[in-house]
Amino acid sequence: MEMGLKPSTAKGVFRLDPRTKLALLITVGIIMMSGKYTGVEYTLRLICICVPFILLLSVRLYKSAVIAAVLLLATVLCEGFIIPKTSGLVNLLIMIVCGVISRFGPGYLCGWYVVRSTSVSEFVTAMERMHFPNVITIPMSVMFRYFPTLKEEYASIHDAMKMREIGQSIKNPFTHVEYILVPIMMSTVQIANDLSAASLTKGLGTGRKRTHICNIGLTPVDVGLIVIMTGMLALFFIF
Amino acid sequence: MEKKFGIRDLITVGVFTALYFVVTFVVACLGFVPIFMVLMPLIGPIFNGIPLMLYFSKIKHFGMITVTSIIIAILMFITGHPYPIFIFCIVAGLITEFVLRAGKYESIKLCVVGSATFSLWLLGMVIAFFFSYRESYFASLVDGYGQEYVDTMMSYTPDWVFFTMILMCLVGGLIGGLLGAKVLKKHFRKAGMI
Repeated sequence: MEMGLKPSTAKGVFRLDPRTKLALLITVGIIMMSGKYTGVEYTLRLICICVPFILLLSVRLYKSAVIAAVLLLATVLCEGFIIPKTSGLVNLLIMIVCGVISRFGPGYLCGWYVVRSTSVSEFVTAMERMHFPNVITIPMSVMFRYFPTLKEEYASIHDAMKMREIGQSIKNPFTHVEYILVPIMMSTVQIANDLSAASLTKGLGTGRKRTHICNIGLTPVDVGLIVIMTGMLALFFIF
Repeated sequence: MEKKFGIRDLITVGVFTALYFVVTFVVACLGFVPIFMVLMPLIGPIFNGIPLMLYFSKIKHFGMITVTSIIIAILMFITGHPYPIFIFCIVAGLITEFVLRAGKYESIKLCVVGSATFSLWLLGMVIAFFFSYRESYFASLVDGYGQEYVDTMMSYTPDWVFFTMILMCLVGGLIGGLLGAKVLKKHFRKAGMI
């Protein structure tokens, strides 16, 4: 069931089990989303922003990794040292800008890494090992497959609009949204049809047990990482 | 058209949930400006209504919306929202399920109503500001977001706002649903896509 996702690119460097990736995603998500800017939690945040950097390096997205690291480090340092010293409107402004980047950024980057580095087959197998029902697994794997496509579609629509000089100035936000959403929705319907046809061809609808050749399993690295992540979450909730 | 809930439906669920989630995520990023946070239950469903109506028009079987709501709950939980989101998502999903079922998945009017009831899950995202969660949640925010932000947020969110938010969800969902129906009529029915 290789539905067009990039095959695993993490050759040689290190190859994580999808379950480990999920643990990383959850930990980084929770800590960055609701962490505080002081004490132990601040240290945890500092550790957490290193995670996307290392992960992106491992899939050879060097440029993005460096940009992400610099940006995240800057915002988190800003949160730790500049925000407590300011007040009033300036404080609120910095807070909002830093907040958006540091709270959504790392989770988004980790998600990007998961999508880049996991083949659909690996993902489904891992979910099966965790005894998730098919009803959840199949839509989720389709989603993972679909996010990058959505990005491409959006880029094409953006280009097409630029070429025809549509939407340069936003006069009516609803028209603008319509111009972007309608083509995306059209292609969504198309993609849904294509994917259904593909999956039927591959025999997903027969109801038999799925077979696979991908090699997943928890290595010592995975176990180590999961233990560290659990530890971090435990620390996070205690303090 | 298949008679049973099959693989085709699951793929439709996946693709449209992805689209829905992305739209929600983009709107939620606005939520950082305190006043938008309060208005989000109104703004979110308006934009979400458009893809949601297209999704509803593709639904033919019982259970698809519940699956969507469970997946949204899981994704929201992973991105750091507190656990009550599960309750809200699943309840909103089930209500919508029954609303659509009442119209045999064909009535456009009930789809619009469904768009309103489905958007109730957004309350799960803001529940932390209210009731018993309120004190501890804001206390935990002081270190994270700074006193200024918390004060602003607190002044915007006394308990009664929660009930207004329920109303905002419903109204936003209705507006979104109507907009969606209009867009469907304008673009999709003509093209023969639904």
